[in-house]
Amino acid sequence: MLEVVDLTVAYGPVVALHGVSLTVQDASITAVLGANGAGKTTLVRTISGLVRPRAGSVRLDGRELIRLPPEEIARLGIAHVPQGQGVLAELTVDENLRLGGLWRRDRKAQRGALDETYELFPPLAGRRHLTAFSLSGGERQMLSVGRALVARPRLLLLDEPSLGLARRALVQIMGRIKALVTERGLTVLLIEQNAKSALSVADDAIVLHLGNVVAHGPAQKLADEEGLRHAYLGF
Amino acid sequence: MSRFFVLSLNGLTQGAIYAAMALALVMIWRATQVINFAQGAMAMFTTYLALFAIDHGVPYWLAFLVALSSGLILGAIVERVIVRPVESAPPLNVVILTLGLLLFLEALAPMLFGGQIRSFPPAFSIVGLHFGNSQVAFSPFDAFTLGSVLAVMVLLLVLFQKTDLGLRMRAAAFNPDVSRLLGIRVGRMLTLGWSLASLVGALAGVLIAPSLLLYPTFMDQVLVFGFTGAVLGGLDSAVGAVVGGLLMGFALSYVGGYLGSDLETVGALVILIAVLMVRPRGLFSRHRLRQA
Repeated sequence: MLEVVDLTVAYGPVVALHGVSLTVQDASITAVLGANGAGKTTLVRTISGLVRPRAGSVRLDGRELIRLPPEEIARLGIAHVPQGQGVLAELTVDENLRLGGLWRRDRKAQRGALDETYELFPPLAGRRHLTAFSLSGGERQMLSVGRALVARPRLLLLDEPSLGLARRALVQIMGRIKALVTERGLTVLLIEQNAKSALSVADDAIVLHLGNVVAHGPAQKLADEEGLRHAYLGF
Repeated sequence: MSRFFVLSLNGLTQGAIYAAMALALVMIWRATQVINFAQGAMAMFTTYLALFAIDHGVPYWLAFLVALSSGLILGAIVERVIVRPVESAPPLNVVILTLGLLLFLEALAPMLFGGQIRSFPPAFSIVGLHFGNSQVAFSPFDAFTLGSVLAVMVLLLVLFQKTDLGLRMRAAAFNPDVSRLLGIRVGRMLTLGWSLASLVGALAGVLIAPSLLLYPTFMDQVLVFGFTGAVLGGLDSAVGAVVGGLLMGFALSYVGGYLGSDLETVGALVILIAVLMVRPRGLFSRHRLRQA
């Protein structure tokens, strides 16, 4: 279980998150919705340790993550797919994928996870030995997500996975992630601007507005609240 | 013709050493985007340590290992103590610190080891080999120089391209933030990068000391030529560094042989300017690619 309590993050005088709290249950998908600048990316970057908060706490199964460096947080089984530029363009597709699971000890399982990823994303298999530089935007996104899955994470932080992805590829990725949630108990925090599609896959959702949580609850319930949809979600 | 042949052989051996120096600079540049101006002074220091060991009755090969291992350690210390604290400061800070380290080491060496010019023993004979009844200007020690530089380069290539550790090191150099998210301990990788680079520099030091003689500033010109080679090669390309270093070796040997040895340094400068006018990014840079 991921617990975020009273998280306040500021970039200099600009406060990006004002005491945000949320809980993500194990084996579920929680969507974080909101407009540009609502603080969604700041929230995931703080959870994965890239941003230091001014106050508050982030706990994974009771263990405090604040003040741990990003690499140690990753080694606890938290995989963060950053928005956009997440692939190492100078390295090959295969090298990128291998990097996902290098911190794990189980080498055999890693090999299997790699093969699984290629099965899931056939376009990547064909470009295995080319540099990621040669990939299209959608393929890079597949690579980013695939690399996170190779690590067999407990908690997956997805920052705008729909960016640059064709509708079909997105549906495929989300289908795979949903399967991992039910089969392996994967926990997902999904950042999305496209509220409609996020609410359709998520179990729970929170809505951020200018660094504050303005709504939270089961995804279906939020999707049904017309006022909320008009005010913050844009559909 | 025979003069050209002699100069070419000489250029190849010298070039191997400049290539090692260039490679050391490029490894650090790629890992931390720093030109380590103290690279030569660090190699000077480790060569002195080897000579110190030899003076105290340590056999040559053990002293050789002393130079290489002290190179490894010195590189790690420099990264941890000098470079790490200014990691997020403007790049000029660390450049000034490496210049400071250069001055510090060149002042410290004469205090510890004496300032007089010392000779440094070669691993093998420096007398030219005999083929039939003619002698060529290529000694067993030259062969050792070429062979050991080549061996180190092959080992580094295997390390970087074929091992998980090398993959981690490359990732950490290309994109530290993303690497951290993948659980790579970037700090350790950078320390290791400095260590390995400094080891390559230390090797260059022990290899060139027999012909240059050992004194506190003896590596300065090697650094300049190695740096020129690295820039020729494009600064972010390991292959480019090796080719650039070798080119410098040949070019300086021809300039020295045909035009006079006092023109060597000017020759280096002329080559650098000429190449950079034609290819401002150097011969092998993938900079354009990396900007995208």
